[in-house]
Amino acid sequence: MATQIVMDQTGDTRHEFDPGNAEALARAEQRFRELTGAGFTAAYRTGPGEVTRIKSFDPTAHETLFYPRLVGG
Amino acid sequence: MIAAVWLRAPARARLHALRELYRRFFGENTPDARGRRLLAEWLSPAQRAQFEQHRYFDVVGCDTGKTYRVHYGTAANVHEIDDEGRATMGWCFVPSGFLVPGDVMLAQKIALETDENAAIALANRFPPATHSEHFYRRPF
Repeated sequence: MATQIVMDQTGDTRHEFDPGNAEALARAEQRFRELTGAGFTAAYRTGPGEVTRIKSFDPTAHETLFYPRLVGG
Repeated sequence: MIAAVWLRAPARARLHALRELYRRFFGENTPDARGRRLLAEWLSPAQRAQFEQHRYFDVVGCDTGKTYRVHYGTAANVHEIDDEGRATMGWCFVPSGFLVPGDVMLAQKIALETDENAAIALANRFPPATHSEHFYRRPF
């Protein structure tokens, strides 16, 4: 199973999907597009504490994290 | 066996045990606790150890190689530090919305480690002396 983790006011919301299931994969890709289109940044871990940003959906990513657009505080 | 012990326990002890169970269950499912858990999962071992000991962790910016100290908090919690660990400048940038401290800190780590210049470009600067270590409340 792969997971999309979306930061929100509850801490986070997790969407799990089976990358081997074409329908689930399409839904995950759609969610990726909607979130990044709304200004979320997507990233996944490449090692312990190492992170890479991604701009397009990666079907091989085991865990993708989304955080909202950054603003000056 | 457990039921027998439970029934023999004084009412006060039972109440205490119930309270403890309630506190642990709901305490670990609060947004704040979930945010801390997510942060811990994504920190490097060194950052996690530093955070557990000091309530902050250090991040190296991907563009300049500068070191930033991310304190527990949701605003004005990032300091640029020198080689001695002294804060030289404060940078305030946060994810939009009202996220819990763990989420805010994780977003700041990722931003500095993967797109430092963009994060700093939108951040507001503040003098580091504005806040002392006591400003950052104990998280847990």
